[in-house]
Amino acid sequence: MDFVTTALDYLLGIPFLGWGVQIGFIYKALALLVALLVFTAFILLADRKIWAAVQMRRGPNVVGPFGLLQSFADLLKFVFKEPIIPAGADKALFLLAPLLTATLALAGWAVVPVDNGWAMANINIGILYLLGISSLGVYGVIIGGWASNSKYPFFGSLRAAAQMVSYEVSIGLVIITVLLCVGSLNLNDIVVAQKEMGLAHMLGVPWLSFLNWFWIPLFPMFVIFYISALAETNRPPFDLAEGESELVAGFMTEYSASPYMLFMLGEYISILLMCAMTTVLFMGGWAAPIDLPPFTWIPGVIWFFIKLSLVFFMFAMAKSIVPRYRYDQLMRIGWKLFLPLSLVMVVIVAFVLKLTGWGWHGGIV
Amino acid sequence: MASIKVDGTLVEVPDYYTLMQAAEAAGAEIPRFCYHDRLSVAGNCRMCLVEVKGGPPKPQASCAMAVKDLRPGPNGEPPEMFTNTPMVKKAREGVMEFLLVNHPLDCPICDQGGECDLQDQAMAYGVDKSRFHENKRAVEDKYIGPLVKTSMNRCIHCTRCVRFTTEVAGIAEMGLLGRGEDAEITTYLEKALSSELQGNVIDLCPVGALTSKPYAFNARPWELNKTESIDVMDAVGSAIRVDSRGREVMRIMPRVNEAINEEWISDKTRFIWDGLKNQRLDRPYVRKNGKLQATTWEEALSAVAARIKKAGNKVGAIAGDLAAVEEMYALKGLLASIGSGMTDVRPAMSGIDPSMPRSAYIFNPTIAGIEEADAVLIIGANPRKEASLINARIRKTWRAKNIPVGVIGERADLTYTYDYLGEGFETLVDVAAGKGSFGKILAKAQRPIIIVGEAAVSHANLGKQVGRDVIAIASKLATGANVAEGWNGFALLHNAASRVGGIDIGFVPHDGGVCSADQIALAGKGELDVLFLLGADEYDMSAMGKAFVVYVGSHGDQGAHRADVILPAATYTEKSGTYVNTEGRVQQTARAVFPPGDAKEDWAIFRALSGAIGKPLPYNSLAQLRSALYAEFPHLANVDEIAPGKVADLGKLAKAAIKTKSAPFGSAVADFYLSNPIARASAVMGECAALAAGLRQAAE
Amino acid sequence: MRAAQVVNTLLLKEFVSAFFLAMRYFFAPKPTINYPFEKGPVSPRFRGEHALRRYPNGEERCIACKLCEAICPAQAITIEAGPRQNDGTRRTVRYDIDMVKCIYCGFCQEACPVDAIVEGPNFEFATETREELYFSKEKLLANGDRWEREIASNLAADAPYR
Ligand code: SF4
Ligand code: SF4
Ligand code: SF4
Ligand code: FES
Repeated sequence: MDFVTTALDYLLGIPFLGWGVQIGFIYKALALLVALLVFTAFILLADRKIWAAVQMRRGPNVVGPFGLLQSFADLLKFVFKEPIIPAGADKALFLLAPLLTATLALAGWAVVPVDNGWAMANINIGILYLLGISSLGVYGVIIGGWASNSKYPFFGSLRAAAQMVSYEVSIGLVIITVLLCVGSLNLNDIVVAQKEMGLAHMLGVPWLSFLNWFWIPLFPMFVIFYISALAETNRPPFDLAEGESELVAGFMTEYSASPYMLFMLGEYISILLMCAMTTVLFMGGWAAPIDLPPFTWIPGVIWFFIKLSLVFFMFAMAKSIVPRYRYDQLMRIGWKLFLPLSLVMVVIVAFVLKLTGWGWHGGIV
Repeated sequence: MASIKVDGTLVEVPDYYTLMQAAEAAGAEIPRFCYHDRLSVAGNCRMCLVEVKGGPPKPQASCAMAVKDLRPGPNGEPPEMFTNTPMVKKAREGVMEFLLVNHPLDCPICDQGGECDLQDQAMAYGVDKSRFHENKRAVEDKYIGPLVKTSMNRCIHCTRCVRFTTEVAGIAEMGLLGRGEDAEITTYLEKALSSELQGNVIDLCPVGALTSKPYAFNARPWELNKTESIDVMDAVGSAIRVDSRGREVMRIMPRVNEAINEEWISDKTRFIWDGLKNQRLDRPYVRKNGKLQATTWEEALSAVAARIKKAGNKVGAIAGDLAAVEEMYALKGLLASIGSGMTDVRPAMSGIDPSMPRSAYIFNPTIAGIEEADAVLIIGANPRKEASLINARIRKTWRAKNIPVGVIGERADLTYTYDYLGEGFETLVDVAAGKGSFGKILAKAQRPIIIVGEAAVSHANLGKQVGRDVIAIASKLATGANVAEGWNGFALLHNAASRVGGIDIGFVPHDGGVCSADQIALAGKGELDVLFLLGADEYDMSAMGKAFVVYVGSHGDQGAHRADVILPAATYTEKSGTYVNTEGRVQQTARAVFPPGDAKEDWAIFRALSGAIGKPLPYNSLAQLRSALYAEFPHLANVDEIAPGKVADLGKLAKAAIKTKSAPFGSAVADFYLSNPIARASAVMGECAALAAGLRQAAE
Repeated sequence: MRAAQVVNTLLLKEFVSAFFLAMRYFFAPKPTINYPFEKGPVSPRFRGEHALRRYPNGEERCIACKLCEAICPAQAITIEAGPRQNDGTRRTVRYDIDMVKCIYCGFCQEACPVDAIVEGPNFEFATETREELYFSKEKLLANGDRWEREIASNLAADAPYR
């Protein structure tokens, strides 16, 4: 028994709290998984609908009312199609890649607090965990491109790798500025910090809590984070890894049926993860925007997903209004603009915090 | 000579020329329907109207007015005609409008559509509207036989068909009944035409009133590939055009060749095409346990090769009626390589000896030369059946000059009147001796033609000597004392396209070989092991005993039924082959379509076989074969030319001693419509033959 | 100049204005036709799926004149003709249109003297296999029977302009 509990401890990274808690934990995980997948399905539809609306189209509207079930129809289609594995492909890696992408994207969600304390694992180094997991995402892409054994996927995956690595750096620095303000790596703490201090408190109108959130004091960081998140997730305008005009479909060229679907799923879940991070870091997580009834009656988890959707809406809008970048432009922005800018910001933020003593519980400095 | 100005150009033409001919000489085109170069002038369509100066001041039918009918001007200026004045234009438009008054708007369902004179000329000279609002007249369609389909609403009463049948074909079976609105072309009493040239009315009819019945609705002229070729149904070698679509021959049309067929062809030539598709041998067969079984080329060739290797030189070969020179040459080479000289292309017991000079086995006076003859003697032949176009030439000459014609042999309707002299050899001897009125005519004739039929030179039952004697006597007649210098009147009328070419290249017994009848006899006795039949079906298949018969041919006919191995070959529309016609004229067919299934060109089969027995023939392509052939027989290289036979050679033949006492002469062709394997496979020919038999019964 | 550009860039001016522009379109009425449920108007001259028509008495119109076959620039039409068994009239034995080759130019219907081959108003004839797009005479006649009313009214509508 000891052995089992220790093993579980080790595997899940949390102390064994007795069987009841442990099974509850599995239920929680399943619930989050299902909720997430369903949410992704609608987000996918929303993505297409938004894009269509900007182009004055209707978008998918045949399956179910207003096409709401479109994603489920797509799911069925992908599942029933024949997965084609190219003759020259490395079969094992070829199938592993989409699995990896999807699993990693889902794993990231383990630490996201959707309400106060509602995280699968409310760990103290949540933000580092997220950073790590999202960096691992590049492996799925690289492996998929390489295992396809074909030109375009390979080029696509190289581009993706370079791009993700570049933007990881600025994302890291942006996160550091937030950490400077909060003084904790715990995501829950980051949200709580945004509730308990900030502009609204300083102005003496604590109920206008949306003024508290970090998006105002750290606005440049917020913008950099938003753009870097687009690049990190290979979203347009930075979807060079699958630029169809030059690379057919990039690293996904050789994929079909369910492996392809897993790739798509992984992508969208990591997009959602990025949106969730934006929400947590800059938009006050589950906190209601105005700290008065009736806003406070609405549970935090709803607020969380509303904010998440808002951020995603901006992601989708970016897709429909910005043309795709050239690769050199992409690299230039990443290394020559965002990196110095965020570095400078880290320094400035640190100075300000040091001088003023602002920051949660005095901040980290 | 007279001079006339055509549209301002002065031309000198013979004064008997019609205005139309004068216009042609000046290069002006005149539309026409009823006028035809080879028929009498009718002048009833009025499409050829022109304006003249020096004649009546109204539009004149240029086909019917001669140049000499026009008066010169007051100061002796030459008369003038115009083909492009407003008056002429108006006249043509008027005539066209009248012609179209009763012509139905049938083009979409008319087989003439696309090659119709009326269509073309209505486009070129007509107007685009009609003022005729009454009902068009309706004429009942006539039955005039299984070959020609009628659609009499379309007839424009040019009477070309009537003139052709009466003048060229020599059957007064078509006519124009009634007048004006009631005029109708008909065969009186719905009778089938009895001519073997009737198909030509299809080409003559300028509209779609007379069209081909077997070809009805099958194809449009614009979808057909046209291949100029040569006919092999008889020994005349008419010039034809093979129209094909895809892998199918759709129809056969005549080409103009003044020296041979002018522009007519016989019905057998024209309607044979459905026989090219029926009963074809398209795979090699080998007889196993008494049954023919389809097999591969390799197996069939190795089966034959094995037998040949065992047989030593006891191998014979008989070529049939349709064999081309190339394949006979290849087969002869194959047999020579195993030391056999048993080849024959002649009918059984032919009097034509391999040693005889060329002038003894060709139609020396040539077909066009018939028109210069002043007397014709036909011995043992029915030219109407054996060579319809030669018969048409004789008729043409007879009509023009009323030359005396004598016939010894079968009494038949030859479409011209002749002196019937007798039935057999004795009569010939009498005529040669100058006895009787025709004997005297012939003795005095300067350009006599002695047509010797195949029935007179080959007597299967009486032996070869009879034929030799007939040739000797005919040579004597042809080289009589009064015969003009340089005239060679000895005319052997073959009735198969393969004969002259085969004899030319020595596909006759040589080097100890024996003739076809003897080969079959040897086979019956078991002394000949392998017998090649190169499309030869006209022999007694039951007499071949246990010989291993290899049939190389295109159709499943008698020979194929007897065969132990069948090697499928190509027909004359599927290969380029050299044929020498009865005149000795070298001609070549052209490939219009590919042979069906696995069938191959004949010469290639023998080349492959020679490889299989380990003695390959020294050529790998048709071109190489031909250059070898031409090196050996240079005259075959001169396509369309005749290497003439010498009269002196005939003189020598004439001195031979006569041994025969008496022999009857029949005709070599029993049934015109069924004389070769392709014709026997043709449903159309079968129908014609049945009809002809029925007609004959009805007459008897 | 340069400073203004920097400010504009930092404040994402272009992005923001593009965003509002996009939002205008976002709420603009959609011109899209809701295709399978509503359809755009089809001209009487529309050249869609082919059909072989019949006369009101049921007799097929086509008389195998082969004009359509001759004019077809894509050589999509194959006709074999012959006399009909029972009455000897000129009919097609085979009338095939390879709808994959066809370029829908309408020459065939222009060439036809009896309005037999027509291109009807139907454009929804997608199939699951390529073979189904090799239309045979039966298929074309069936099309004709199915679409006769529309085809006839279209022909009538267009007749004054011919
Ligand atoms: S049937 Fe033809 S050839 Fe004979 S008269 Fe009529 S149009 Fe002339
Ligand atoms: S529409 Fe044009 S391409 Fe198509 S079948 Fe008719 S003629 Fe041919
Ligand atoms: S469809 Fe019209 S044009 Fe085509 S063959 Fe039939 S009748 Fe002639
Ligand atoms: S051609 Fe002269 S009248 Fe017919």
